[in-house]
Order: sequence, then C-alpha cells, then structure tokens
Amino acid sequence: MRAPSNQIVPAPPTSAPDSQFTEHSRKLRALLLLSFGWLLALLIGAGVNALYSLRHLDRASQEVSRRFTTHNRAIGVIVVSVRVYDDQIERFLLQDQLQESGPDPSEVAKKIAAVRASLLDFPPDRDPDEQLLLAAMQQQLQEEESSCAIVLTWRSDLRRQRAYQFIGQQLIPWRTRVFELSSQISSLNEHKLALENLAVATRFQAMESRLVWLVSLALVAGVLMSLVCGWYILRLERQARQRYQALARGRLELESLSARLVEAQEEERRSISRELHDEVGQSLGALLVEVGQLSKLVPPEDRITQTQIIHIKSVAETAVKSIRDIALLLRPPMLDDLGLIPALEWQAREISRRSDMEVEVHSQDVSDALGDETKVTVYRLVQEALNNAATHAAAKNAKVTVTQGSDKITIEIADDGHGFDPARQRGMGILGMEERVRRLGGAFVIESAPGKGATIKAELPLHHADSP
Amino acid sequence: MRIRRETPMRKIRILLADDHKLMRSGLRLLVEQQPDLTVVGEANDGRETVTLAKSLKPDVVVMDIGMPNLNGIEAALQISQANPEISIVMLSMHSDESYVLRALKAGAKGYLLKDSAESDLIKAVHAVADGKSFFSPAVSKVLLDDYVRKLKRSGAEDAYDLLTPREREILQLVAEGKSNKDVANLLNLSVYTVETHRSNIMEKLNLRGIPELILFAVRRGIIS
Repeated sequence: MRAPSNQIVPAPPTSAPDSQFTEHSRKLRALLLLSFGWLLALLIGAGVNALYSLRHLDRASQEVSRRFTTHNRAIGVIVVSVRVYDDQIERFLLQDQLQESGPDPSEVAKKIAAVRASLLDFPPDRDPDEQLLLAAMQQQLQEEESSCAIVLTWRSDLRRQRAYQFIGQQLIPWRTRVFELSSQISSLNEHKLALENLAVATRFQAMESRLVWLVSLALVAGVLMSLVCGWYILRLERQARQRYQALARGRLELESLSARLVEAQEEERRSISRELHDEVGQSLGALLVEVGQLSKLVPPEDRITQTQIIHIKSVAETAVKSIRDIALLLRPPMLDDLGLIPALEWQAREISRRSDMEVEVHSQDVSDALGDETKVTVYRLVQEALNNAATHAAAKNAKVTVTQGSDKITIEIADDGHGFDPARQRGMGILGMEERVRRLGGAFVIESAPGKGATIKAELPLHHADSP
Repeated sequence: MRIRRETPMRKIRILLADDHKLMRSGLRLLVEQQPDLTVVGEANDGRETVTLAKSLKPDVVVMDIGMPNLNGIEAALQISQANPEISIVMLSMHSDESYVLRALKAGAKGYLLKDSAESDLIKAVHAVADGKSFFSPAVSKVLLDDYVRKLKRSGAEDAYDLLTPREREILQLVAEGKSNKDVANLLNLSVYTVETHRSNIMEKLNLRGIPELILFAVRRGIIS
C-alpha cells in the first residue's frame, strides 16, 4: 500500500487580465515603433535636405565665379584688341616722322576685324546695363572705324601735316573713352559678383537655420522619447519586481501550506492509528479472550456450538490482523516502542516478507534520543523509498544506511531496480519525501538513471532535542 | 527472595500490566481459573508496573509492550535490573525479530503474542516461573520464515548446519538459561571445555550476546 500523498492543486490561470495586458502592451509597442520611426525620418530628412542644399549652393557659387571670370576676360580681350588697333593706326600716321615703313592698310583692317570679333565674342548672358555700355562701345568703335578708313587713305604729305592733330584730337579721346567704358563694365561685373555672392550667403544662412531647427526638433523629440522610454522601462522593472515578490510570497505560502499538510497528515495518521489500536484492537483482543473462555464453558460434545465458536474466533482473529496491519502502516508503534533503527529493521523485514526484495539496514552511531519529527521523517522516507523500489522499480536488493554525525543525520537508500530519470519522473511520493526533508531544513537528492537503480540521499540537521 | 518452586501449595503470584482494562480483565479471568495461579496486582502503565513490581515482589510480571509512560521494554529493563528474580512475560502484537530481541535484551523470559494469549498464557506463566523460557509458536514460525527467506535470497548456507552435535546440545542448554557450570555438570565436561564450545557456537552463528543466542534458538525451534 502506498502512503496517501498530498495533492497541491494549482490555481486556474487568470486569462482575462492577461489578454488585456497583452492588448495594452501591443498598443504601447506600436506607439513606440511609430515614434521611433518619426524620429528617424526627421533625422534622415534633415540630413538629405542639408546635403541637397549644400550641393545646390556650391553649384550656384561656381556659376557666379565662372560668369565673373568669363566677362572679365572678354572685357580684357576687347581692350587689348582696341589697343592693338589704335597702335596700328598710330604707327601708320607717324611712319614718315619715325622714318620707318608703316603697316599695310590691309593689316590694319585685320586688326579692326579682330576688334569686332572680340565685341561679338562677349558672353551672351549680359545684363541690361552691361548691354548698354557694350552698345555704346560698339557705336564708338564704328565711328572710329569709319574715321580711320579715311585716314588710311592719306598720303605721306597729308599724314605729316595732320597726324599729330588726329592723334591728339581723335585717337586719344577714343581710346580713353574705350577704357572708361570697359572699366565701367568691369566694375558692373564686380558689383554683380558681390550681389550674387551675397545671395549665396543668404541662402546658405537660410539652410543653416533650417538645419539647426530640424536638428533641435529631432533632439527635443529624442529627449522626449528617451524620457518616455525610461519611464516605461522603470515601470516595467517595478512591475517585474512586484510580480517576482508576489511569486516568492506565493511560493513561501505554498511551502508552509504543504508543510502544514504533511504535519496534519502525520497527526491524523497517528490519531487514527491510536484509535484503531487502542479502541478497536483492544476490544477485539478482549473478545478473543472471552470467546476462548466461552469455548471452555461449552461441553465438547456440543459440536454445533463449538464449531460456531471456532468460526467466531477466526473472524475476530482476521479482524485483529487487518486492524493491526492498517494501524502499523499508519503509524508504526515500533518508532515509540523500539526506537528508529529497530523500526527500520522491522520495516525492512516487512517489505522482504511482502515482496521479492531483500533489504539490509546499516546504522552507525544513531542515538536513541532522536526527536520525534526526525524519527518520523527518516522512517517515512525509508518506507516510501523501499515501497517505490519494491513495487515500481522491481528491485531485488536494497540497502538502507543511516549515519549520525555531530550535527546531522544522513540517510541513504540504494536499490538495484530499473531506475528512472529523476528530472522527469517525480511522483507525489518523491515530492512528499522532499517536502518532509525540507520542512526540517534538510537536503534531498535522488541519483538515478534508467537501468541504473536509484539512490536517495537525505541529510537532516539535528537540533538540541535530537542530540545524544 | 528465592522462589520456592518445590512447595506445591504455594501459588504463583502474578502482576498484570496492560493499559487496557478490557485486556487486563480478560487476562485475570484466565489466570484465576487456575488453582495454582493468583493475580496480586494490576498496573495501568510502565511506571506503575515498575513501582508495583518493587513493592509486591511478584513471581511473574505479564506485561504489554506498548504502554504509555515508559513502554514495556523500558519497564522490563528496570525491573530485571532491580529484581532479577522476577520473571517477565511480554505481551505483544508483533512477532518481529526487532521486538523479540529487544524484549530478550530487556530481560524478558517469555514472549507471547496477544492473539494467542488465551491459549498460551498459562503455559507461559508456568514455564517462566520454572526458570524456563517461553515463546509463542507463531513467533518461532515468523522468525524462522524470515531467516530461511534471507538465506534463500542471499544464497548463504544455514549456519546451524555448521554446528557439531555437541555444540547443538550446548546451544540448547545455554538458550534454556543454564549456566556454564550447569551445562558442565549435565554433560560431564569441564567448565573450560563448555566455555570453548560456547565461544565457537557464538562465532559460527555470528551472534553477539545471550539474547541473540536465545533468539536464534527460538527461531530454530530449539526452545519454545
């Protein structure tokens, strides 16, 4: 017969608040994801925008300087070609005084063509003021060209007569005029350059302030989100801690509950056993004695009554025997009558009588004055372990070793049965053993593997009451 | 005080100890039917038994093993230490070796199972009053069964077979409570020879002390 075991029924899972919680956390997670997405988009947007603006500004600034350079160069070409042309005219007019041969008029015509070409070469992207100045220059150059066409037809005497006058009154003022115009165009260009540089700088500033604004926005949003996340994490941590504490408390309560159950079970067994033994058992014992008396009073010739009496006696004897067996299982009086080790030896023989397993009991230095709780715990441990070995593991041999040290008592029950995996198979019997040991502050280990037998080891601390 | 077994008119004085009144009255009924037996007192627990045994000096104490306030074994130990001339018969529910050996170690001469008390009590009282021992037949049977089963399972041989006929003779006499000197006289041997035989027996049977020797003898049905 297996000892009845405690059953701890787990509370039904609380499903309703759980799903509510899941819903809540799902929403929160979505919100967090959305916020992070926005923050990321903001940062990427700011970066792309800044990059784009920078490239654009760079191109604009390059364009401005290119324009300035080409216009200036074109002005320079005009001035130089006009100067070359004027020189040719001058040399033509003064060839007699300097006594050298002047340039051929066809050469001069080439120079004037170069002047015209340089004017036409001026870049087409001209602004209105520039256009006006260029037109004035062109007009003047046309006048000059037509005047010079006449001069180039002059003979030597005419040249001698009028050369200086022409140079002084016509050529030099023209030249001055061309220089003036070109310097005006040049300064116009410079002015335009300054204006456009200013525009670029303004746009750059605009971009800068936009960037600053975006980055600050992202920063503020980031700070805000880290605050929210931090608060949420702290809240989760607190909740986890609370839940853990509740769990630990529940576990503790469960432990004390099962300890009380074991205690109550032991107490109940003891009282039932006492009732059975004292009341029922003794009455039946007395009944047997009385029946014996009765059979002596009845004459032996009265066969019918004698047979009846024998029958009554055998029924009473059977009852006595079963009452005794039940009482023994519930609370063996050996523990009180004989002490721990003889009770264990009795238990071992009892198992050997009932099963195919032979049990040896070895003990060392075990005191007679062990506390009641310790004795009962050791006894129940051995009882349960031997029962398991004989009924479930089909063991042939088992060995019980009890050793008492200075502050602890060690129990080892080893069998050669077919073993089991302690990590997977933990019946109520093993749980009960563990519970009993833990209740006294002891340690409990099972070493077993399929096909390898099983060894149960327990260590119980001894209190002052248990000391020898 | 010496028990005068040789005077037939003297009744054997008995102290009954059991914590159950019903049981006690049943036992008293049995005892008082015998002309040579008389109940001189009844005790309700172990302590009372020890006290009454001291003051009444009965010839035989019939005592239950499981009693409150000092169990029967402890009480037997105290009585046999204080008054070795008092013979003790243990009443018990249990036929197990642990109980029998304990009772023997505590100085009991008789061991009676409660369910056979009715038929065996008178025999037991007479036997122990006569200096012999008495064990319920059922006890011998259980002890022998346990022994044989163990031998069979472990494959060991029965140590009793190792004893010589002379040793078996001496084993029986010692188990019956005879001293070395008595044995020597009965068998016409020297005390020294008897002592040698005795230690050989103890060694062959792997026994420690007289109680274990008596237990062995009961188990083998050498004495009852």
